[in-house]
Amino acid sequence: MTVGLPHVLTLAALLFGIGLYGALSRKNAVHVMMSLELMANAVNLNLVGFSRFVTPEAMTGQFFAVFSMVVSAAEIGLGLALVIAIYRRKRSVELDAVQELKG
Amino acid sequence: MDWVTLIPLLPALAFVVLAPLSRAARAKLVPLAVAAVLGSLGLSIAAFLAVWPGGHGEVWQASVTIAHIGDRAITLGLALEPMSAIMLTVVTVVGACVQVYSLGYMHREDRIGWYYAVLSLFTAAMLALVLSDNFLGLFMAWEVMGLCSYLLIGFWHEQEAPRLASIKAFLTTKVGDLGFMLALAVVYAEAGAFDFATVLHHDWTAGTATLVALLMLFAAMGKSAQFPLHVWLPDAMAGPTPASALIHAATMVAAGVFLVVRAFPIFEASGIALTITLWVGLITALLAGLLAMVQHDIKKVLAYSTISQLGFMFIALGAGSSTAALYHLVTHAYFKSLLFLGAGVIIHAAHTQDMRQMGGLAKKLPVTSLAFASGSLALAGIVPFSGFWSKDEILAVLLHEHQYVAFAIALLAAFVTAFYVARLWFRVFTAPTQQEDLHEGHRSMLVPMVVLAVITAVIGFFGPTLGDFLGHEIPWPALGTAAISTVAALGGITLGWYVYGRRTSVVNTQALKQRFPHAYGVLANKYYFDLTYGYFVVGGYTTLARALATFDARVVDGVVNGVAAAWRSLSAAGWTFDGRIVDGAVNGAASAVRAAGDKVRTLQTGSVRSYQTLIAGAVVLLVVWILVKGA
Repeated sequence: MTVGLPHVLTLAALLFGIGLYGALSRKNAVHVMMSLELMANAVNLNLVGFSRFVTPEAMTGQFFAVFSMVVSAAEIGLGLALVIAIYRRKRSVELDAVQELKG
Repeated sequence: MDWVTLIPLLPALAFVVLAPLSRAARAKLVPLAVAAVLGSLGLSIAAFLAVWPGGHGEVWQASVTIAHIGDRAITLGLALEPMSAIMLTVVTVVGACVQVYSLGYMHREDRIGWYYAVLSLFTAAMLALVLSDNFLGLFMAWEVMGLCSYLLIGFWHEQEAPRLASIKAFLTTKVGDLGFMLALAVVYAEAGAFDFATVLHHDWTAGTATLVALLMLFAAMGKSAQFPLHVWLPDAMAGPTPASALIHAATMVAAGVFLVVRAFPIFEASGIALTITLWVGLITALLAGLLAMVQHDIKKVLAYSTISQLGFMFIALGAGSSTAALYHLVTHAYFKSLLFLGAGVIIHAAHTQDMRQMGGLAKKLPVTSLAFASGSLALAGIVPFSGFWSKDEILAVLLHEHQYVAFAIALLAAFVTAFYVARLWFRVFTAPTQQEDLHEGHRSMLVPMVVLAVITAVIGFFGPTLGDFLGHEIPWPALGTAAISTVAALGGITLGWYVYGRRTSVVNTQALKQRFPHAYGVLANKYYFDLTYGYFVVGGYTTLARALATFDARVVDGVVNGVAAAWRSLSAAGWTFDGRIVDGAVNGAASAVRAAGDKVRTLQTGSVRSYQTLIAGAVVLLVVWILVKGA
């Protein structure tokens, strides 16, 4: 059996679903961010897959995936910094502890 | 030679630096003003030496074009020639002496910095006036000097008298300036230019020449305080004494004479104007001299004396000798500023200007009395002091022109001059001592006086040299006229001594008053000039002003108030409209927005997971919408 585009997309959809479920169900901020990473990487997988199977001669999708990884690395650094800052104030990384913006 | 421009520019710069500063900062920079005038003095001497030995026309000239009218260019320029070189040295020597003297005289004043600033501006204007090569520039400098005179007379403006005197001086000279402006208009219409070369070489007809000459004479009469425009100068004595020495004795009041000297070819072309000038001078010289006899204020005596001496200069002009007038102007500038500076020391020492409360000052103020003696003898016309030579030259010119009546009047004026000089001298210096605690002036006040006294004593010997320098002749005095004028002067002094100077004759003004009630009344009221002007000119003006004020209160104010009332009721209506309708609309919109906001804000739960759910839900809806729409 050769691996085709449908396999890649299925894997990506699974990863995205797991990530979405985690993001919505977890209370721990670190877990939520890990789930977000799963979703982001599912999208990257999509990009690579489309690039490989739809326009193999143009490397656009692959480059875009690398680019996206760099951005999410920066983003996760920022997110963790925020989590540490919140922990220092609240002594907790539970998302329910942060309710200040309630209108 | 362009450094000549610096001569008026240095004091002007001193003014520009001092004027915008605070009172304390100005006071600190006073040495700058003194340095500026000393710099001008040095440059003026250099300019004098550059012109030496004189006897020819201009050695340097520079001008700028300030405007074009049609195809004619209006230029302002400076020119250095023998006459301006002499005037430069006179102005800067007297100016430097006065500024150094003021260091001592004014050092207790808070506003000494402002005093020096205005003094510098004045010096700059006077230097520009004598250097100017055209009537327009001369007029501008002339007006700046009028302003400075106003500011300095009113220096102590907290007091009423200086304030009123400054206004009187400004307005009276302004009446004369009107003549100058009209003269400029006629000159421009006739000659098409303002510069001396063009205007003076213009082919003047007798009629226009008379018109221009009389207008200029009127201006000169205002500035040089000639009858009947003399009334401002005695009052101007309310200003600081050194300022009087510079402005109201040596330089500014001589500007009128200087103007006539500059415009002399026009006066000569007229002929009638010369005769009028002669008689203005004669009347002024005699009447002002008579007034000086009855004044008790030492500065007023000197003020009337100045008017009288300026009258002598007009006599010389009227007799056709501008050189004699200029000669007397120069000697008078030195000896009269010397007398004023001496009067300043005397006033400082005696704490009064009233000569009746002075006396015996010769022993207490030895240097001042010697310097004052030099000035007094010059004013009286005793050989060899400077006034003798120049006054004798004027008398000689009168004889030469066969003006025997004028000669007699001038001689009488000289006699009167000697009399009031003697009266002043004996009252102040030799009469019985009235006060004990008297002190000689500070060294900074004495040095300028000594300088001026020496100049006054020796300058007469340089008369012929001065004449050669100007390119005219000033001969040594003929024995005959010299003898006559000396007899007149000595007679006046002797009479003064007889009335005021003898040990036995303690002066009794009351006795004099009773003996000559009418004459004394006329003199004491200064020929009623001030009363006449006060009644007719000022009184008429005041009546007119009152009528206008009534009109203003009834009619103009009524209209204004009516308009205001109408406007007020209109705006009240507008206020109601604004409050009900405009504000209602604005407030209604605001409360609607607020109510909507109250509803919408509940969307903000503050819970991170609810936001995430919202976003995920929205994305799902978006995808579904795209799929549905795409299908």
